[in-house]
Amino acid sequence: MPTLIALDASLSMLRPVPGRNEHTYQSLATKGIQHLLDNLMAAGKMEHVALLSYSTTAELKVDFTRDYDQVRQAVKKVEPVDKACLMSMLKAVVSIMSPWGNQNILQVVVFTDCGLGFGNTSITGFLEAYAEKESEPEFGFLKTLANYNLNFICLGLHGDYYFTRGLAVYQQLLDKVSLKGQLFMTKPAKSSDAVEGNPNPNPNPSHKSELGRTTVFELIERLCEASYKSSEVTLKCGSYFRMEAPVLLWPPTAPYEQKSHIFGREPTIRHTDQKIEVCGFLALSDIGSPAILSRHWVLPKVEREKSGGSRRSGNLSAAAKPPKLNLDTSNPNYELEKLEADIKEFYAKDSKDTEESGDDDVTIVLKPGPQTEHQKENLCVLLHGALKMENMAALVRVGDKWYGFIYAFTDSKKKSNLMLNILPPGANVIPWLGDLESLGFPEDLAPGETASFPVRADRRSYSQSSVVWIRQASLQSDVQKVLRHAKKMPDKTQHFYKELNRIRRAALALGFVELLEALAMLLEKECAHLSLNGASNDCTLQLQHAATELRKTSNRDIKSTIVPLQKVGASDAGSTAATAPAPSYMY
Amino acid sequence: MFERNQKTIFVLDHTRYFSIASEEYISMDFLKGKPSGDGGATGAAGNATGSGGSQFSKSLWTCACESSIEYCRVVWDLFPGKKHVRFIVSDTAAHIVNTWSPSTQNMSHVMNAMVMVGVPSRNLPTSSDYSVIHGLRAAIEALAEPTDEQLAAMADLGTDELSRIPNKGRVICITSARDNTSMKSLEDIFNTVLVQQNTLAAPPAKKGLIIDHCHLVILNIVPLGVESLVTNRSLLKISPLLDVEIHTVSAPDISYKLTHLILNHYDLASTTVTNIPMKEEQNANSSANYDVEILHSRRAHSITCGPDFSLPTSIKQGATYETVTLKWCTPRGCGSADLQPCLGQFLVTPVDVTSRPSSCLINFLLNGRSVLLEMPRKTGSKATSHMLSARGGEIFVHSLCITRSCMDEAPSITDGPGGRVSDYRTAELGQLIKMSRMVPLKVKDPSAPPLTRRLPRYFPLTTSSSILFHLQRHISWLSHFLHLLVKEDMDKQDEVRCQQHIHELYKSASRGDVLPFTHTNGARLKLSKAKDQYRLLYRELEQLIQLNATTMHHKNLLESLQSLRAAYGDAPLKSEPGASLLRSFTESPLSPERLEPISSVGASGSSNSNSLLKASKRRMSSCGQRSLLDIISSAERSQSNKRLDFSGRLCTPLGQVAKLYPDFGTKDKDAVTTGASITPNVKEESVRS
Repeated sequence: MPTLIALDASLSMLRPVPGRNEHTYQSLATKGIQHLLDNLMAAGKMEHVALLSYSTTAELKVDFTRDYDQVRQAVKKVEPVDKACLMSMLKAVVSIMSPWGNQNILQVVVFTDCGLGFGNTSITGFLEAYAEKESEPEFGFLKTLANYNLNFICLGLHGDYYFTRGLAVYQQLLDKVSLKGQLFMTKPAKSSDAVEGNPNPNPNPSHKSELGRTTVFELIERLCEASYKSSEVTLKCGSYFRMEAPVLLWPPTAPYEQKSHIFGREPTIRHTDQKIEVCGFLALSDIGSPAILSRHWVLPKVEREKSGGSRRSGNLSAAAKPPKLNLDTSNPNYELEKLEADIKEFYAKDSKDTEESGDDDVTIVLKPGPQTEHQKENLCVLLHGALKMENMAALVRVGDKWYGFIYAFTDSKKKSNLMLNILPPGANVIPWLGDLESLGFPEDLAPGETASFPVRADRRSYSQSSVVWIRQASLQSDVQKVLRHAKKMPDKTQHFYKELNRIRRAALALGFVELLEALAMLLEKECAHLSLNGASNDCTLQLQHAATELRKTSNRDIKSTIVPLQKVGASDAGSTAATAPAPSYMY
Repeated sequence: MFERNQKTIFVLDHTRYFSIASEEYISMDFLKGKPSGDGGATGAAGNATGSGGSQFSKSLWTCACESSIEYCRVVWDLFPGKKHVRFIVSDTAAHIVNTWSPSTQNMSHVMNAMVMVGVPSRNLPTSSDYSVIHGLRAAIEALAEPTDEQLAAMADLGTDELSRIPNKGRVICITSARDNTSMKSLEDIFNTVLVQQNTLAAPPAKKGLIIDHCHLVILNIVPLGVESLVTNRSLLKISPLLDVEIHTVSAPDISYKLTHLILNHYDLASTTVTNIPMKEEQNANSSANYDVEILHSRRAHSITCGPDFSLPTSIKQGATYETVTLKWCTPRGCGSADLQPCLGQFLVTPVDVTSRPSSCLINFLLNGRSVLLEMPRKTGSKATSHMLSARGGEIFVHSLCITRSCMDEAPSITDGPGGRVSDYRTAELGQLIKMSRMVPLKVKDPSAPPLTRRLPRYFPLTTSSSILFHLQRHISWLSHFLHLLVKEDMDKQDEVRCQQHIHELYKSASRGDVLPFTHTNGARLKLSKAKDQYRLLYRELEQLIQLNATTMHHKNLLESLQSLRAAYGDAPLKSEPGASLLRSFTESPLSPERLEPISSVGASGSSNSNSLLKASKRRMSSCGQRSLLDIISSAERSQSNKRLDFSGRLCTPLGQVAKLYPDFGTKDKDAVTTGASITPNVKEESVRS
């Protein structure tokens, strides 16, 4: 989910926030951006972030990166210049986002005081120009923009008329151009003229002003809740409790819209299950490269201290203070966990004993004590290791008749991690694997039965010896093949008749009787030519026989096959009608 | 799902006119391959080479026949079982060549049926009975017939909802009309019949499905060099039900026309794979480059499109449509073709299936190799946008994702949680994965155990969290023992073996033998440590058996192990908490198959008989074909198995008969009588001593 942060750099951002002399709109925006970055950092530092500042022109300050410090530094250096021009910024966004294509969910977060701009570059000016001219090429970029998620962090006071009017126009813009977007704004302090009806009452009525650092942070939290919520699921591989673990899927899974083939039925929206269960394993070479809906990292879920307060400090101290190993006696796995802990303790003590035979509790270094997350074993790591070693993937069920593959993915830099490929919903989405619901284990096979991949399809035209004579060259090559075999008779007698019958059958199907006569003539010519050159008697007799048979109208039947002349030497042998039935060609 | 192209019907005019020659001549010399001309058609066409009689021509019928068959070859290659094509031949009546049934929707059926149809006779008199109208009527009736997919959808819906199943289709009529007027009357008749058919389909008659819309394509064909009075006309809406287009083509060009039409009919696109190196037969050392054109769904192109590139297109000589030219990349290792980020896979078929370059490429792919296809980017660099590969005898084009992905720069798993742990039981899980490799089954038994039941119920992730699996590497018999323990169908013999092993363990424990750990570096453990070893070992063993307890034998083992633990001074069963703990285990969802909670050791006689009854009930429900005697005696046996086996038998090697009362006669008389009715306590004492 690449995120482009756009910061309004118009002069109006330099205004101090009324009632809060310590803040300007810009300083609040800067704090908001820092807080957004804090949140992304806490979520694993996976998002690519870019920074854009805009006024009359848009300027890319930092290109997409995971190095958030770079963005943090750049934000501080943004200096407001002149007026805001939202539309030129949005146009710039489209070109900056273009390398990402449409396979990724693209986020744009705009920090603005909702100025409308001036003159023909203003939003109202744009809306007038846009009306009735949607299909003009100059508005083409809006189609691409409609694929993005636009989030506006609207900084302003509800008592400020210019701000509320701005909000209304921004919403109008989203609606008119049908963009996917949301305006995030503070809850109105006096709840007098809310543009977006917000049901939540103001939690802090005692504040000097509704806009401040805390409220901006709240907007960011709402944004993260809405757009950056990670998919947390349980991965299950077998029945032992350690073989079941909470994992994060990143990027988050998106709902799938399944169309109905019946007129007028609404499409159904499908979500992946909360528990994804391994059904079995397949070799990567059997799976190949099937079409997929989406790819996700499968990351071990780390217990974090979840509170807004700790994030505010910027550096997370949470990692240094992992949760203590709390063994709860009511836990059904209490006994197993206890045993595991005891065994670990035993080993730890054991290794220490060999080094020094001192008292057990003197040295703290080797004491198993509280483990950090990195030292704690995790199912993902084990599964990754085993799958990678065996070059296999786990088939997982992500929903009802909906599957995916988990495998070890290694990138070009040899970094490896567990990856989930989600297939399109349905049990029959990969032709060469067949129905995924009916996959089983070799032990389930009936005695004597064998099964292996790939599941074979019916023969396609290119794997049969199809006859297509649309191009004369292919007719030529078929005829030449017969003639080549003719020259090499009697060695190639069988081949000769096989090819001859193939041509004859195709000619009959296409009603191409002219070819039969032509072929008969060619064979006679060849016969004369060969006998001059002293070819074997056998050869010439067979050619003569074949030519006669081709001309017979009685042979123009699906069941007839021309067979070689059996008794060489008997001059009247040609009269034996060769009409052996070919049962495979029954109509 | 039910688009307009799901049903296509070819109506072939089989009247006398179609027996005449297409006037495109093929010379005999050309067939023999004598002329030096390298190309086929150019040298052979016309009268240039021919002395009389040494040349011949396809009939109009042959042209119509081969081109329509080629059309359905492409359709069935690309959409097997999904898109249907029917043939109707029309002369004095309509002859149905195939139906919507899948068994007749294939090339060999159509080819064989066409042999029966044969070429129209030249000698028959022209009569008004001979007409293409019969075929068109039959085509409309055929459109009203449901396909298998429509039948399936109808079964899902109520009868009153039948009209909601879309039913559109296309009729391609290959005929020859005198002029525009006769063409007009053909259209009018078709439209009238269509309306009539729908009134039949409407209630109350309900004969067949209502036809929502029909697209009629009329190909008016004439021999080469003959001018037609019929004018071409692009798509025209005749009625809300019917769109008609008319094309006049000379017979030899009809195939090109249909190839052009099929692209729009099925939303196909053409890709030309360029620069395929192929070895020449004559000159094996060098290789020349060839191009092969393939057809596939247009989505294979559109799905990869991004803003910073567009697929390079060109128009082949003589063609009227664009083809995307992608460059062949010499394939690398086989593994690189697996699990590529693929946005879509689509079947392909070569435009010219019989040409040598096509069959070379096809065979290369069918032999299991994959080919990456390359396109230039605007920036000048190149991207592999597509991949060709064959699976299960079918060739697919895979559209690959070539835009920047938010997943690039993978977070390494070793940097994540648990990434630094070094003693994962990776090899063991690898073994399990190999053993749990799936295969396609023809029929799947719903009662077959799923993976969760096939994988071990006890599987510590690391060796440092297990004593058993650690020791397994050093104690040779341990693996076998563990294997026996987890058997779902443990029998009496297995149980006895396990009992022996447990006894062995107990003996070495009481001797104070140190278990062979690698960690200890050969250093001797303190005696207290050795005791810890066995305690943990017993505990782990007990957990393992508990998780796997599926039979009475497991239960027996568990009980003897627990009594051993107690004997070793590590007694979880002494007090009530232990028992409640056990119960919590049995109630945990992880062990749904466990039998009832183990009755505490030393249960009174009444509870014993009670459990005997329970056991017999269980037996009864599990195996229905056993006699009452079997059930009672086996229940009794299992009951007695709960106790630790007779020490004499435990000490005797398997297969030999334990000697009963070895000291018989040396003891007092009353001692003998107590020996005959040995209590469990006494037995345990004897084991311990």
